[in-house]
Amino acid sequence: MHPQVILHSFGYLTQAAGTTLAISLAGIALGFVIGAAVCIARLSREAWLARLGGVYVSVFRGVPLLVLLLFIYYFLAKFGVDVPALAAAIGGLALSSGAYQAEILRGALAATPPGQAEAAVALGFSGVEVWRRILLPQALRISIPPLINEFILLLKASSLVSVVGIAELTRVSMNIASLTYRPLEAYVGGALFYLAINLCLAALGALTERRLAGERG
Amino acid sequence: MRKFETFDPTRREALKASLAAAAAAGGLFGAMRGAYADTLADIKKRGELVVATEMQFPPFDISDNGVYKGVDRELVDAVAKELGVKVSYLDLPWTSVLPGLDAKKFDLCIAPVTITKERMKRYLFTVPIADATAALMKRADDKSIAKPEDIAGKTVGGQKGTSQLEQLKAFSAKLPKPVDVKEYVDNNQSYADLAAGRIDAAVNSLPNLAYAAAQRSDAFAVVLPAFGQPTYFSWVGRLDDATLVDAINAAIVKTEADGTMATIQKKWFGQTMDLPKTVPQPSI
Repeated sequence: MHPQVILHSFGYLTQAAGTTLAISLAGIALGFVIGAAVCIARLSREAWLARLGGVYVSVFRGVPLLVLLLFIYYFLAKFGVDVPALAAAIGGLALSSGAYQAEILRGALAATPPGQAEAAVALGFSGVEVWRRILLPQALRISIPPLINEFILLLKASSLVSVVGIAELTRVSMNIASLTYRPLEAYVGGALFYLAINLCLAALGALTERRLAGERG
Repeated sequence: MRKFETFDPTRREALKASLAAAAAAGGLFGAMRGAYADTLADIKKRGELVVATEMQFPPFDISDNGVYKGVDRELVDAVAKELGVKVSYLDLPWTSVLPGLDAKKFDLCIAPVTITKERMKRYLFTVPIADATAALMKRADDKSIAKPEDIAGKTVGGQKGTSQLEQLKAFSAKLPKPVDVKEYVDNNQSYADLAAGRIDAAVNSLPNLAYAAAQRSDAFAVVLPAFGQPTYFSWVGRLDDATLVDAINAAIVKTEADGTMATIQKKWFGQTMDLPKTVPQPSI
């Protein structure tokens, strides 16, 4: 074991970790917007809209992220749509994560006891107020642990975006391994960065949970 | 149906939302780019040659702390100077390089590709940029392998889909005892397994192995002579880009005439080597 390999490449790994973090956060944020929209569509009374939401979830949860990325970057180009690498990476992560996040949000809404909303209506709350004050705060609280889980999974899955030519953390670890002929050190270096980022994400999740739990009292 | 349990956007709202989503998707997916009429003219107009390789193939392609280095880098810079354009480099996994070339994501693949009969049907090769003859590398302390034939009955690894691995299989068939061939996703994994003792030798082109053994002389040694048929590495372009590949060829031949090629070879291979000035007919 030669730890100096990691030290020598520390700047390179840090830069790659930044790329991984930036792409993942963008994917998570855009995925949340997509997830919320799909969740709303799935709960809609308009049958066509609900079905559209269902089809979205089936398709993007059913296609492996790797295939999705290859499709967006290479296959669309055959039809003259040239997706830049960064957009393909973020778009692929967001489209895929959106399907999972939609289901997490739907599950959280379903877990809110219907009696509460009924009681709120009986007490004269308007439809919007029921959502804003009763359903959403509780659904948000329920959805935090699975959402953090999804964010961590997405961050790790972001290693796949190297297929469209983005120098993220795993890719850079491979570059270092091939340059130094010391794969063990290179991958240990990469793994430490993933671990550090994900521990931060988990801590952030725990903090948010505590905050929201505090509001309840 | 309880009203509050379902979110119920009106059709107008739904339409608005989907239009906004479509607009956002349009922005995300970027501008449409039409098919190239003439890639060379397009490159000159852009003032930029876009090339791709996998930067994990030392000494040809290396990403050293994010800086692209190696034989291909220096050679393509010289070629681009000749064409009077700048270069931008893409780092793609090898499995994505040729599909990316087909999808017109870049102009030229500058990963060293061994010229074979099969590949000539799909791609246009430039004149050779380096020797690609298959050779073997062993552990430095392994006394049981002194010449290529000594691998009979032993385990040898190489990168899947490479012509060097195919040459190893052909070589193995002629040995008294066949070689147990292990296939890897990339060469670096076979080197790692060689160091770990899981395989007895690794197959690759002689320049790659010579560089690897020089970098880690404590662990590796090259088995000489190279066992394979003489083969060469070239860059590849799309079949319909003959004008581009002709221009690249002229520039490569010029670097050989003015000594640039020899300087690059000395720096990375430690020696100079003569290369054919035309695309050779492949023997494999």
